[in-house]
Amino acid sequence: MISAIAMLLAGGVGSRLNVLVKHRAKPAVPFAGIYRIIDFTLSNIANSGINRVAVLTQYKPLSLMDHIGDGSSWDLSGRSRGVKILPPKTGEKEWDWYSGTADAVRQNLSFLTSSDKEMVLVLSGDHVYYMDYRPMMEFHRDNKAHVTIGIIPVPWEDTPQFGTAILDEKQRIVEWEEKSPRAQSNLASMGIYIFDIDYLVSTLTITREADFGHHIIPKALEEARVYGYLFDGYWRDAGTIQAYWDANMDLLNPDSEIKPEIWRTMTNLNNVGLPHDRPPTRVVKGGKIVRSIVSPGCEIGGLVINSILSPGVIVKRNAVIEDSVIMHDAVIGDSSVLKLCIIDKNVVVGTEAGIGLGDVERDNIRFPQHLSSGISIVGKDAAIPDGVIIGTNCIVYPEMKEESFVKLRYLCGETIGPEEGEDE
Amino acid sequence: MANIVAMILAGGRVDDLGVLTFFRPKSGLPFGGLYRIIDFPMSNLINSGIEKVGILSQYRPFRLIRHIASGEPWDLTGRNRCAIILPPFKGRGESDWYKGTADAVYQNIDFLRLHRPDLVLILSGDHIYRMDYRHLIRFHMDKKADLTIACAKVDQEGSSRFGLARIDDEEPRGGKVIQYVEKPRESKLEWASLTIYVFKTDLLIDALNANASKNSHEFGKDIIPTFLANKKVYAYKHYGYWGYTRTPDEYWQANMDLLGAAPKVNLKEYRLRTNMAHREIRDRAPAFIGFSGKVEDSLFYSGCRVEGTAIRSILFPGVRIEKNATVTDSILFFDAIVREGSVVYRTIADADTNLGSGAEVGDPRGELSIIGRATRIPPGIKIEGGVSVFPNLNEESFRESVYKKGDIVE
Repeated sequence: MISAIAMLLAGGVGSRLNVLVKHRAKPAVPFAGIYRIIDFTLSNIANSGINRVAVLTQYKPLSLMDHIGDGSSWDLSGRSRGVKILPPKTGEKEWDWYSGTADAVRQNLSFLTSSDKEMVLVLSGDHVYYMDYRPMMEFHRDNKAHVTIGIIPVPWEDTPQFGTAILDEKQRIVEWEEKSPRAQSNLASMGIYIFDIDYLVSTLTITREADFGHHIIPKALEEARVYGYLFDGYWRDAGTIQAYWDANMDLLNPDSEIKPEIWRTMTNLNNVGLPHDRPPTRVVKGGKIVRSIVSPGCEIGGLVINSILSPGVIVKRNAVIEDSVIMHDAVIGDSSVLKLCIIDKNVVVGTEAGIGLGDVERDNIRFPQHLSSGISIVGKDAAIPDGVIIGTNCIVYPEMKEESFVKLRYLCGETIGPEEGEDE
Repeated sequence: MANIVAMILAGGRVDDLGVLTFFRPKSGLPFGGLYRIIDFPMSNLINSGIEKVGILSQYRPFRLIRHIASGEPWDLTGRNRCAIILPPFKGRGESDWYKGTADAVYQNIDFLRLHRPDLVLILSGDHIYRMDYRHLIRFHMDKKADLTIACAKVDQEGSSRFGLARIDDEEPRGGKVIQYVEKPRESKLEWASLTIYVFKTDLLIDALNANASKNSHEFGKDIIPTFLANKKVYAYKHYGYWGYTRTPDEYWQANMDLLGAAPKVNLKEYRLRTNMAHREIRDRAPAFIGFSGKVEDSLFYSGCRVEGTAIRSILFPGVRIEKNATVTDSILFFDAIVREGSVVYRTIADADTNLGSGAEVGDPRGELSIIGRATRIPPGIKIEGGVSVFPNLNEESFRESVYKKGDIVE
């Protein structure tokens, strides 16, 4: 059995997820009802027999730390197992903020040097996928590689977002392009690296370079054996509102490869600090659910179609929820209508309100690059007053309360939140 | 608050529940789409701040042991907290299966001596109710009682199964017990014992020691009468819901009381905890209701897949209802599967059962039918209401194509 440790880079801001990452890092964003995005990578680690994991956090780490807890939800606690959360810490300088992925690992080099294992997996906590890392570890060892990179074919139009590789017939990487506008290959890096521990430690000690994709990999190509391990399963970077919504909706498609239960995806069900377990979901008279994923603890008195509900969602009488993702403990009032929405935790929608209604006439005015397909998003703890109708491509900021709503009708593309420039 | 140790009587098998208790004590019986019945007293205890619990178990305790585990699901681990299963053991010269409820506690007097509580709270592990035991204990202390028995009002019908008390009309919380009769054939008394007792520890130990040489060792029949003779015995009135689930009908009804817009038992308010590792509940994906699926007036949990119809039913984790199958007024335990085109009425199907495609099970209005654990019902057969099917049967065990009321398939 090959021995390895894992370092999970969970510092991603994921700013294109807009209000969903106002209070949390991207890996902590709820997904598929009961999970968070990081659960997929953590479960892969545990299911691959890796017992020691460091989670490197930086951006808004609190909800992530709560979620990971002592690691026991992934069976990662015990004498020879553990999850260490490694936030940036004071070093020689007063405060050494991680300046990049490689820098984050460098600042925690002792996690590597104190290990007697032969290889380290450097993983991102940003992706939804299932992978047994063991065949890749064997591939790495069989090739006597210094670095092995997980590689997946992506649509050509997406290549500018990725590092891409050209492989020789033995899958050794001969050329690497980092986020090139005209990539020569559509074989993209999945953000999964296996390093020989000695090689990684010496490289990070010699150089001051900050980033794996931009610096460490190109350098390794010149001086070391770098291989690409091809993967062809389900893998999504749920990093945009559209991609996040699409990946959630994949759960409703029986032909999709996404199967969290079969993947043995584990999560921490206690992460919201409830002192008791969520009861079963109760459908009451008049409630109806069609083609949807519904988590425990919900009360359904209205109509839920084509949607994903996290635990504790309350759908009152005559409410309609369609094509939407609703997170924990949101309350959807009597006779309200939600279409094509992503509703964050604890949002309260009053009675006879509407979100995502009307035609798609323009992009979101403030964030046209984030919202253009019609999806509307409502941030955590917001309260939509009775009777307010909100159009498509709209954004409601977290914690917006009654007084923030100055009118009854918000048109396509509007944002309800602090004035531009005032937020953050 | 006084130092209190709770002991839960969780051993009973309960004959009336038939095939449902072949492999588990009644306290381990699944309930409410997620829980085991013992989760009710266990959650009541932790929600009342009582953190030392001994569980007395002797009948088929394996599943109960797995369920209670380290006590961690109820936060009953730590320096001053514990939940421990106390099985019968062989002592020197006394080979000793528990001979009754009082004997079970007597044999574990060491547990009481170890913790040296001021008060001992004795509970039954098989009732559905919510109680803040602190109120009961406050009452017990206010009255300077030696023994306090929690009681609830019951109908005349069926009251002969209980210990019944006449209570002095002191105050709304309760009063002195004037008369107590254990399971009388006929009685006008309307307050029934809930098998929830608060004892002063030293008096309890004395009474158990005195009882040890007798032939009968039951709290209701033997211990309470000795206290009534010369000690202060009070009754504490419980006004909330109380589900006594000793027959299939009562068990079924208590489950149905969880349904509706304003259910008699609102599980959220009960703040229940269960062992989410038992049967891998926590690793199940959220429920999926398919395009042809319909769930009405029902409960379901993660791991369920509904492509057919469920009406007024309770679906435990992992239940699957396939296309064109209809389940009405029924309770399906963990991982039960209802195959395509099957029609199910008023049935309790135990864990891992498989109801073959096109099978008709149960009667829309008649007696309940019960299917034992892991049994596979062959496709297309008819099982009417009032039929009891043994566990672990495969399709070859069914020689008839129709089973009628009163039949037992074994």
